[in-house]
Amino acid sequence: MTDRPDPLKVLAVCGLGMGTSLILRMTIETVLQRLGIRAEVDHTDVSAARSTQADVLVGQGMHTSELDGVAPVCVTVDDFVDDAALEARLRPALEEAGWL
Amino acid sequence: MELLQDILTGIANNIFNQVPILIGLIALAGLLLQRKPFETVVAGTVRAVVGVVILTLGVEIFVGGLVAFQAIVASAVGLEPPTATSTLNDFLAGAGSAVPLIIAVGFGIHLLLVRVFPAARYVYLTGHLMFWMSIVIAASLVEVFADVPRTTLIVVGAVLIACYWTLQPLWVAPLMRRLMGHDQFGLGHTTSTVALLAGYGSRALRLGDARTHDSEKLTLPRQISFFKDINVSTAVIISVIMIAAIAFASPAVVEEQMAGSELLPWAWGLTQALRFAAGIAILLFGVRMFLAEIVPAFKGISDKVLPGTKPALDIPVVFPKAPTAVMIGFLSSTVVFLVCMGVFAATGWFVLVPPMIMLFFGGGCGGVFGNAVAGWRGAVFGGVVNGILLAFGQWISWGLYDRTAPELATLADPDWFAVGWLVLGAGNVLAPLGAAAPWIIAGATLVVTVAVLVVLSRRGEPVTSSPAPAPAGADAPADAPAPADAPARSEAPSSRPPSRPGKE
Repeated sequence: MTDRPDPLKVLAVCGLGMGTSLILRMTIETVLQRLGIRAEVDHTDVSAARSTQADVLVGQGMHTSELDGVAPVCVTVDDFVDDAALEARLRPALEEAGWL
Repeated sequence: MELLQDILTGIANNIFNQVPILIGLIALAGLLLQRKPFETVVAGTVRAVVGVVILTLGVEIFVGGLVAFQAIVASAVGLEPPTATSTLNDFLAGAGSAVPLIIAVGFGIHLLLVRVFPAARYVYLTGHLMFWMSIVIAASLVEVFADVPRTTLIVVGAVLIACYWTLQPLWVAPLMRRLMGHDQFGLGHTTSTVALLAGYGSRALRLGDARTHDSEKLTLPRQISFFKDINVSTAVIISVIMIAAIAFASPAVVEEQMAGSELLPWAWGLTQALRFAAGIAILLFGVRMFLAEIVPAFKGISDKVLPGTKPALDIPVVFPKAPTAVMIGFLSSTVVFLVCMGVFAATGWFVLVPPMIMLFFGGGCGGVFGNAVAGWRGAVFGGVVNGILLAFGQWISWGLYDRTAPELATLADPDWFAVGWLVLGAGNVLAPLGAAAPWIIAGATLVVTVAVLVVLSRRGEPVTSSPAPAPAGADAPADAPAPADAPARSEAPSSRPPSRPGKE
């Protein structure tokens, strides 16, 4: 149906890569499960993210602005536990990439 | 009988005294509880164990770099470097091996408190701080009660940490609600004292108006954005100080630290500063690896046994509210810390080490909460408060932990100091009571916590329609969608003096 990578590689990013990005990772997992997308979700700090390859990058604008080119799809979030808000941003981003 | 004893001693020495194995067992239990498939259980357990091993290697490198840094900076300003008879590594391998059990038992007690008392509605989920704060409490107990039995250490430590996890999100809740405009999650972070001082302090000092002086109307130069990356800012700042210090240090001291290295002193200094930064990066990587396996289990358990509770999360959850305030807070915090470093050196007090992580997250916290109350001046004030607390906290705490883990002083958030000092203080007062003393501390803390929760539950119960008082804030809840339960949650936040971490 789509040329979406399977599993989709998703990276959650925050400043230290410990608290926030881990919580964000769990939110992303919830959303992707709801969308029925098989994915490998990982989380890391902004330094390590630069040397990582992913299909989708999720993080605060403060950090995603530093991470051009790490992933073809980049989604910015303001709230790490709100899965509805994340879905509202992730869905159009995936559609635009032709992955949904 | 003897055989049985041998077996028990064997288990104690080889399993319960080994941090990696204990963390592995906790991860294993967590993964099994989540009914993960076989391959995930195996991989997750191994990752958790390897994460702890990486953490200890990171601590080793970090401690080595710290010693060289302190010795050379001390020599440059003509001071004696601070000394200690133990290191964080020794502590974690010895009495500190109780920490994983303190976390596991403490989390159970915390869930119980949240379950029983409706006022305690936040489940603490900031994993790395669960780990570090448990180390602080364990080290404080061991420091006063030198040979405290392991079981006592675990139970007393677990009670203390559980009370902290339960109360801390509550005392920042009024400020959090005002900042976020909703109550979907709480703040579970050891910079809570900075949040309180920045928020209530900038109001008391009437520093400005949140709306007209909003920090987000300012733009900061793009060139300083590299500071946001902790690895980069640690490496840059420590390198600059190290190389400057080598220029003034006595050549004999530098030579001794170089231990026969063939490099030129400045080049060696640079490599040491970079190793120091790398040590912290490795340490954090190890913590991240084991937390990734354990925190989802904790969250799974709390979602299952306590549906409807809210998570208390890491400090960056508030950063999107005011990213410029984060940078303002961080920069003012760093400047103040470096000034303190100079002053301390000039007066011959102590050799401070700039803790870039804590300057960033604590400064960011002070910035965001200060800005929410008083605009950019509040943000500057919040950062200044953090810088001062970290400098004086480090100076005071180093000596207090010199028999356990003095590095805790150089890598600490303000709450680590506050809680650690209270435990140390209470311990010293009660020490004459002997073996009963730690139990009295735990009992008293629990009683105070329960009393606070009972009072809050009484106050919070009646459903009043007055929303949380939110004087003009940058993000006043006016335009934010009011969460369904917001009116029911008005525990008269601002009228109640914020409970200080004095309960621990």
